[in-house]
Amino acid sequence: MRLRPQTVKQWRRFRSIRRGYWSLLVIGALLALTLVAELLVNSRAIVVRYEGSYYFPTYADFMPGSQFGLDYDYETNYRELAASFAEQREAAAASGAEPPGNWLILPPVPYNPFETDFRDDSFPPYPPSLSTQHYLGTDVAGRDILARLVYGFRLAMAFAVILLLCNYIVGIAVGCAMGFWGGAFDLIFQRLIEIWSNVPFLYVIMIVASVIVPNFWTLIGIMVVFGWMAMTWYMRTSTYKEKAREYVDAARALGASSPRIVFRHILPNTISIIVTFIPFSVATGVTALTALDYLGFGLPPPTPSWGELLAQGTANLQSPWIVTSVVVAMTLVLLMVAYVGEAIREAFDPKQFTFYE
Amino acid sequence: METTSYFIRRFLLIVPTFLGITLLVFAVTRVVPGGPIERMLNEALLAGGDRGAAVAGPQGVGGSALSDDQLDQLRAYYGFDKPVLVSYVEWLGKVVVLDLGRSTRYNEPVWETIRDRFPISIFYGLTTLILTYAVCIPLGMAKAMRHHSHFDNVSSGFVFFGYAVPSYVVGIALLTFLASQLEWFPLGGFVSDNYDQLTPWQKVVDVAHHAVLPLMSYMAGSFAVTTFMMKNSLMDNLSADYVRTAIAKGLSFRQAVYRHALRNSLIPIATSFGNNISLILTGSFLIERIFNIDGFGLLGFESLVERDYPVVMGILVISSLLFLVGNILSDICVAIIDPRVKFGQ
Repeated sequence: MRLRPQTVKQWRRFRSIRRGYWSLLVIGALLALTLVAELLVNSRAIVVRYEGSYYFPTYADFMPGSQFGLDYDYETNYRELAASFAEQREAAAASGAEPPGNWLILPPVPYNPFETDFRDDSFPPYPPSLSTQHYLGTDVAGRDILARLVYGFRLAMAFAVILLLCNYIVGIAVGCAMGFWGGAFDLIFQRLIEIWSNVPFLYVIMIVASVIVPNFWTLIGIMVVFGWMAMTWYMRTSTYKEKAREYVDAARALGASSPRIVFRHILPNTISIIVTFIPFSVATGVTALTALDYLGFGLPPPTPSWGELLAQGTANLQSPWIVTSVVVAMTLVLLMVAYVGEAIREAFDPKQFTFYE
Repeated sequence: METTSYFIRRFLLIVPTFLGITLLVFAVTRVVPGGPIERMLNEALLAGGDRGAAVAGPQGVGGSALSDDQLDQLRAYYGFDKPVLVSYVEWLGKVVVLDLGRSTRYNEPVWETIRDRFPISIFYGLTTLILTYAVCIPLGMAKAMRHHSHFDNVSSGFVFFGYAVPSYVVGIALLTFLASQLEWFPLGGFVSDNYDQLTPWQKVVDVAHHAVLPLMSYMAGSFAVTTFMMKNSLMDNLSADYVRTAIAKGLSFRQAVYRHALRNSLIPIATSFGNNISLILTGSFLIERIFNIDGFGLLGFESLVERDYPVVMGILVISSLLFLVGNILSDICVAIIDPRVKFGQ
């Protein structure tokens, strides 16, 4: 495949902006890692070697404890299995017998985001601790915060990207048409948008939540229905502005059709504004989901979510590790998203900034 | 002239838009289960719960707390006994004579409930607005004119922080670390409990002390967006031909910026300027909720949760009118700044 020279140039310029380029690499790596998050943050072992056979429980069906010689039929607790294997080895070493050769590899964070870890002597939330492998501590239900952060991140990013695509497609199309056609079309859509954006968005979510429990896709659907307008106002204003400029008259005088003027002339000239808003939109997607979850109107519990952690943290200010974990994670992720956006904008900007002495 | 009549038409069009918004939400409040009557019944039930009715669920509500007659009276009072359109017209008739009805939660006129919250929201809104524009426009200009300088890079780091992190997260972080852990600032509220006993000077200090963290949260959001918008659009204009021409004919760089590029680069900022009037008054319910500030936003949120529909509708009336006027103001600002824009042609 051959890339257009302009695209190659833009890519080179993007790479030359180190901050944005490295942020993109890190975000890309993080997203790639979350695709296999089940191997890294999970209560199931990555691989179990038991009596000569290998087992890979991560992506397999649930394996009862009896399969590994434990005395129960519910799902194997692999952390306990690791301990029992270690005991077997010690017992074998003490008696001088041949070790049984059973072993397993647990993920670096051996908890899944749903299981609760209760102790006999105290109540959660437990502070961060290396010995229990709750590296960021637990929440008030005793669930591992790091596990919930990782899975919450995956969900929030997927949510933000899908939401952004839907919003932009609708918003740009409508905004551009409003600015280009103007007149009655513009007025009618302005009325529609004004009515639309004034319907309290949270209220609609609450209504839907009182009838059905919103899931990922219904939440995206509602947020697109009430969120596509943001882009429309900017597109409308800038299309109006571009349309009033001479090059559009020139193109029309040369016989260019309306679609050609819109897609070849006006859209490329307004794209710098669109790209400027991409970091804002990704941030909006993540923060909107987090805010809804924070208020309790987002995805239903026990879905791992940053907003739900924030709500727990503000309700338990004496356990600052909850708020700290989420705030640091959100800051890092959103900061990198913003750096990428800044670099993209600079790379795609056809106009170079010139210094005058 | 064309533009003037365009804006006159825009102002007239507020009426149908306003009707559309209110009718939509009004209809929605009637469709949702769990309206104010049900809420009152539950409260009456809870109040009588000591007398042994604690086991009665929502099904048992009908006969226990209020008689059917009283229920019908209540329904008639709040207009729940008529079809949606009829009670909407009745409600609208009252709104036209500035009667917003009575709050089901506070049992006082909606307008008084809302009016009590205005000073707090205006205080935060105006302070944020003034601070934001006073800092962001000069900062954005300075950053554009010294693009990629040391100053630009360092300030970008700080501004990016506010750009990336949403204001409510900033608020939660400030509350956790500066208020809860370090105890430098109060944990929320607008004033201290002993506000009435303070001397005037202490009152000022008290309000300021409570205002620092919420204001920082408010600023964090709007600050970054405005600064970057200013910087980006000024840079776009600086690389345009007309600035090159201005320099070529002998203007200094500063003159070229102040006389030519600045006005054009304010256009993107102007597109959102008018909407500030609704921001001033309505604020952010998230920040008001985090810091427990009794403003307009928190009132709106609580009324939604408590299904206090008269207050919800009252807030909707005020905020939608502000929003509609704000949109027109934005377009007027654009028309003043950029004469090339011809609305309504």
